[in-house]
Amino acid sequence: MTRPATARWSLLLFVLPALAIYVMFAVAPLVSSVVMSFFNADRTLGSVFVGFENYIYLFTEPVVSARFWNALVNNIKYFAIHVLVEVPIGLLMAALLTSGALRRSEGVYRTILFIPATLSVVIVGFIWRLIINPLWGVVGFPLLGNQMTALPTISLMGVWQYVGIPMIFLYSALLAVPNDLVEASRLDGASPWRTFWDIKFPLIVPQFGLIVILTFIWTFNGFDLVFALNGSAPGPNYSTDILGTYFYRTFFGSSGQVADLDLGATVATVIFTIMLLVTALYFWLVQRRLRAHTV
Amino acid sequence: MRRISIGVTTGALVLGVSLAAMTSAVMAQSVTLTLGSWRTEDLAVWQDQVLPAFEATHPDINVEFAPINTNEYNAAIQSQIEGGTGPDLITCRPFDVNNEWIGRGYFSELDGLAGMANFTDTAKAAWTFEGHTYCVPVAAVLAGFYYNVDIFNELGLTPPTTTAEFIAVLQAIQDSGKYTPLAMGSADSWQLAYNGLYSVGPAYWKGEEGRLGLIDGTKKLTDPEFVEAFKAFAAWRPFLPPGQEALAYPDMTQLFTLGRAAILPDGSWNIKQVTSTGLNVGVFGPPAVEAGGQRYLQEMPDMAIGINAASPNQEAARTFLDWVAGPEFQQIYVNTAPGFFAMSNQAVTYDNALAQNFADLKTGASLTPRLALDRLSAGTPPLDDEIWRLLQLMMTTDTTAEQATQELQAGLESWYGPQKGN
Repeated sequence: MTRPATARWSLLLFVLPALAIYVMFAVAPLVSSVVMSFFNADRTLGSVFVGFENYIYLFTEPVVSARFWNALVNNIKYFAIHVLVEVPIGLLMAALLTSGALRRSEGVYRTILFIPATLSVVIVGFIWRLIINPLWGVVGFPLLGNQMTALPTISLMGVWQYVGIPMIFLYSALLAVPNDLVEASRLDGASPWRTFWDIKFPLIVPQFGLIVILTFIWTFNGFDLVFALNGSAPGPNYSTDILGTYFYRTFFGSSGQVADLDLGATVATVIFTIMLLVTALYFWLVQRRLRAHTV
Repeated sequence: MRRISIGVTTGALVLGVSLAAMTSAVMAQSVTLTLGSWRTEDLAVWQDQVLPAFEATHPDINVEFAPINTNEYNAAIQSQIEGGTGPDLITCRPFDVNNEWIGRGYFSELDGLAGMANFTDTAKAAWTFEGHTYCVPVAAVLAGFYYNVDIFNELGLTPPTTTAEFIAVLQAIQDSGKYTPLAMGSADSWQLAYNGLYSVGPAYWKGEEGRLGLIDGTKKLTDPEFVEAFKAFAAWRPFLPPGQEALAYPDMTQLFTLGRAAILPDGSWNIKQVTSTGLNVGVFGPPAVEAGGQRYLQEMPDMAIGINAASPNQEAARTFLDWVAGPEFQQIYVNTAPGFFAMSNQAVTYDNALAQNFADLKTGASLTPRLALDRLSAGTPPLDDEIWRLLQLMMTTDTTAEQATQELQAGLESWYGPQKGN
């Protein structure tokens, strides 16, 4: 038997490789981009510490701040559509998969529904762009060319692609619901509908909450689908601009625009802060109180 | 099976290592220059054509073409140079971006370079800052109108030379009911400006006169000549394909190459794609306002090469740039990358017939670069990006030319010094 002190050291040793990689590739870039947001390199003198100047500029310069708020509002809509469409459909699919109604084809359906989530966004964007192309596709209306419909259209493409994720997540949660409870409710004469909402769902509420907050994180980190479809100045009239594309445009510049690395880092830090606050608030206020009924 | 593959891999690895050792031993005596570029698609052009030609006459200098993704080019170069790891040779963006880079001291000045004598001041303008030139011009792009010769013959049409004729031609194609007059869509807003307004507009704002007037503050975007130019572009709207609001640049090219549209407003850089289906394609320049009026043509300086001020190989880099400035390079480059045009005053011939047609359009035309990329886009909001956005609104909503130019002028006045006092 090893002494406790040695055990503690060997524990540390086991954690170290993962910790080193995590620090090197996640923590260090994050910290350095936060540091960068307090500097300004657009001077001939080199990089200069400027305090909160970049933040003040981001929130007070009329055009820059208007585009930022526009991107934030669009991102909230992007998230809302995902939560209102993707999560309920995922739940429905998970419920159907575990209901036993599919019998042996359950595995087939599970696989088919999950396949889009494994595709590259570039492919998803390309396929959908062709399907809804007014010239070659099946929809005559220019969905992506209209300010009202462009963002919902892109959001629904994202929903189509990733609906498998909440499905598989909730599916595994539902599988863990003890069978005797379900059976008991059936013997008591509860309808499948009632069984689901009064027995199964309360038991998976913590996982349901988790998938909602994960969707929040994924959509606020969103970038690839919008960029694949509409580039880094996503139109029309910035109606599909989200925080990810706003950051990209600021940080990387364009053929006619100088890349503003410091302001880009500032935007990234603001996005990070928003996500950190919302996620922390969620865990503190909501997730702690969500508790599966003890069986 | 696994054992065999391991054996093969090891063998290949050993071979690779020894090969690398051999090449590095050979290269040890020569200078190796890296050339940073955003033209990833030109890798073969440089590696197989351009650089071997240079190295044949300069065995002691080795140039390595190191392209970076177009979208990330500016940020990558900026962080590399500021971190001290920039390439020896930097491909220069035209105008504002490059002026900013020059201001930050990225480049060595090239005034004394012998080859610079091959370029006029206009050709060097996009890379000249406070009287000094920092990059050797490599290529410019032109923009005009590709047309399907067979459709024109079938309908008995000839390429238009005035605005009125242009609209009449579009109307005739529309009336035939068989073809879409203009292959253009509004989904990619950049090309509404680059392939549309910046082509037809200069005839109204008189090319350089209007462009430089905006720069020195003597003209405004709300002046009649600019409003007229925006209107002339808006007049295309009825001739666009159905659903054009959501059609992107590749859709337009396809519509044209499949023979379903008669005219494609586009840049010379798209020559290869436009002719890829073997279509009988001709090209005409932007129409003049009235018969006998001055013709204008958009010639946009696209690419130049400068020397990283921090590079230890200044001498070798200057030797390379001297060669780039000469006719041998220009001849090879424009013919391996058709659609790009030499900017030097030396005679260059184009093997690609359509490229030669494009080059011929320059004769008798007054040349002008894109309206908003020189100084007018160096602030927030950048005029160029705003023009994209407002043209898209003009082509997809009921925004008028008057509203668009007013909003553009207000945006420009908010930050651009020479426009503020008006």
